[in-house]
Amino acid sequence: MRPPYGRLRRIGLSAALAAIVAAALLVSVPASARAQPTALVAPAQTSGGVDYTVTWNTVDVSSASSSSSALAIDLTSSASLVYYWNVSHGATPPTISDARLQMFYLGFAVATRDQVLTSPAPGSGSIPLSWTPISVSYLLEGLYRLTASFIAPNGTTMYSENFWVRGTAAYGLLAVLPIVLLIIVIYEVYGLARSGRYAAIGAKGGAPPPPTPPPSSSSTPPPAAAPPAEGSEESNAPAGDAGGTAPPAGGSS
Amino acid sequence: MSSGSHGTGCGVVIGICLVVLFQQFGYLNLSDIVPTIEYLVIGIVVGGIVGGLIGWVLGRGYLARHAADEAATSP
Repeated sequence: MRPPYGRLRRIGLSAALAAIVAAALLVSVPASARAQPTALVAPAQTSGGVDYTVTWNTVDVSSASSSSSALAIDLTSSASLVYYWNVSHGATPPTISDARLQMFYLGFAVATRDQVLTSPAPGSGSIPLSWTPISVSYLLEGLYRLTASFIAPNGTTMYSENFWVRGTAAYGLLAVLPIVLLIIVIYEVYGLARSGRYAAIGAKGGAPPPPTPPPSSSSTPPPAAAPPAEGSEESNAPAGDAGGTAPPAGGSS
Repeated sequence: MSSGSHGTGCGVVIGICLVVLFQQFGYLNLSDIVPTIEYLVIGIVVGGIVGGLIGWVLGRGYLARHAADEAATSP
């Protein structure tokens, strides 16, 4: 039997280890920062003689076309997007009626915003779109793929562009999902550290159960009937019904 | 349930949670379903194996300690 202070010491060490791991993860959270208005170095994307450009707080989103170059954003503040399309000479002018922004997580669009023009006309133009992901910031943070799409009046996607954002919640870690995940991880690490206790249960698993004690006195009447076997119907049937379903003797004619 | 299987269960849960947690901290990309499934499978397998080994080792240590305790308390 181990002394109780030894067990408390192990529990304390486990708690300290879990706290250190949690603190290390929290320290490595990227600092909350907005996308800086750097120079628009990325060229406009051309499709069918039309140049399409989407800016996120004046930053061209084509500069964040990979997860390693994701825009660092604060999910608790609003973002101003502008969808531009410019028709080159000789190209067929498109009619854009809808600017759509979608945020993907686990392959599904968890947030979608649309800005619809009431009277679209062929030619060049721009559509501003403001997005404040407050509801998402309470749940999620991290690295996400966003898709900006130019939609025609008939629903056809004229052009779409994928870009990446690295969103942080309020104060770095006030989203529900990372907090719940951290609690689950700490609980499971604690359970893993105490999994050695299950060795005794596993060792006793093959042992036969202890024998039943003998009856204390002979005057105790025996049980009226043995407990019914699982799935047995005859044992539950009353005595009068025992011959009810049996064919009558000599009944064949 | 043995200590190894209990450790495997804990390791699988930890592996799944760590994959999603790394995405929340910006180290993994789980926007698309295909790398997400791959990352989760890797987390489940690695977590299960490591957790099972840790549980097995801890179980052996627990049995060895208690065997020594019983030997010490026996006359």
